[in-house]
Amino acid sequence: MKKIMTFLLVYLFSVNLFADTNLPTGIIKITPRPAPPFNLENMDGEKFALAQKTSHWRFVHFWASWCGPCRREMPTIQKLIDSMSKDSIEFFIINTAESEDTVFSFLGGIESDINTLLDRDGLVTEQWQPRGLPSTYLVDPTGQIQYVVIGGQDWQKANYQHFLRQLPVNKAVNH
Amino acid sequence: MRHFQLLFVCLLVLSHGLISNNQSFAAAKRQVVNNPSIKMVIIPRTSQQMAAFYEGREFPANAIEATRSVCFFTIGIHNKSKAIIWHDTQQWQLNSKAGKIDLISKKQWRQRWKQLNLPQRFQSTFRWTLLPKQLDFQPGEREGGNITIPRQAEPFDLTAHFLTGENKNGKPIALEFKNLRCAKDSDQ
Repeated sequence: MKKIMTFLLVYLFSVNLFADTNLPTGIIKITPRPAPPFNLENMDGEKFALAQKTSHWRFVHFWASWCGPCRREMPTIQKLIDSMSKDSIEFFIINTAESEDTVFSFLGGIESDINTLLDRDGLVTEQWQPRGLPSTYLVDPTGQIQYVVIGGQDWQKANYQHFLRQLPVNKAVNH
Repeated sequence: MRHFQLLFVCLLVLSHGLISNNQSFAAAKRQVVNNPSIKMVIIPRTSQQMAAFYEGREFPANAIEATRSVCFFTIGIHNKSKAIIWHDTQQWQLNSKAGKIDLISKKQWRQRWKQLNLPQRFQSTFRWTLLPKQLDFQPGEREGGNITIPRQAEPFDLTAHFLTGENKNGKPIALEFKNLRCAKDSDQ
């Protein structure tokens, strides 16, 4: 029993180290700050809000069809969403200030069925103050932004998926 | 980071056909400074290129007309070092024979859009296509965007100063670009 406990402690410690020091390329740990709330509709008019407190992490991603890296990144986000358990991480994919027609055409062009939310006037994006587009934020279960992801990444890669899968366990323990 | 962000790449793709089919860009050439710490690219954009982009984004005609009165340059910056590089356009100097040239600020654009009653969503898109005024470039980070200046007939020089290091006390960097020119539609 003692050996098992020791193993678990070492494991949790190593997970914590992985999460904060060996971050995959482009993921930056920041001083936590509250995630600005939003309540946005998808293309079917359904509303989605970012709850301040929940039981899982949130992946909040801003994109636009005119942004080259967004075009390359989106299919990898689709695969990431498909591969993640629905109760481990919640995805909010937010288009910045484009019309439904533009978004529809873009997603159709890359054969994506991502449920994107529409920040029609761009004001939610302004509140989040991304460094550029695309930008991704990882919000912990208490509503704090813990990580920002710079630029477009290949979310299919094992190190990104591994990192994200560690988050719920790791931070749920700490909070 | 493998890719420049924002509009930069998109505009490259958009304008590629125009540029590659034409050899008469001598008047307004792309310039690159590339050293072990940083790479910076400046690409002059014609009014037609910019109008095509914003028309594609459904901008109203009066807003597109407003973009025609200024000079656009697409900037790409890549921090190749292992230290933070601090970008601040206030540390840039643009000078022609006629004197100092000021960048048109986001605030000035906001005022212009307000005068034209440009809907918020277009203002937002336009803002995201501009180069950030300040940014702490992380190691490996690439960002890009447009800068705008009043249209110039004469060439001008640009010197971009950057501080480096977490506490901005690393070796400063100065990049020089000579004889930059506003691109004319006739250059295409």
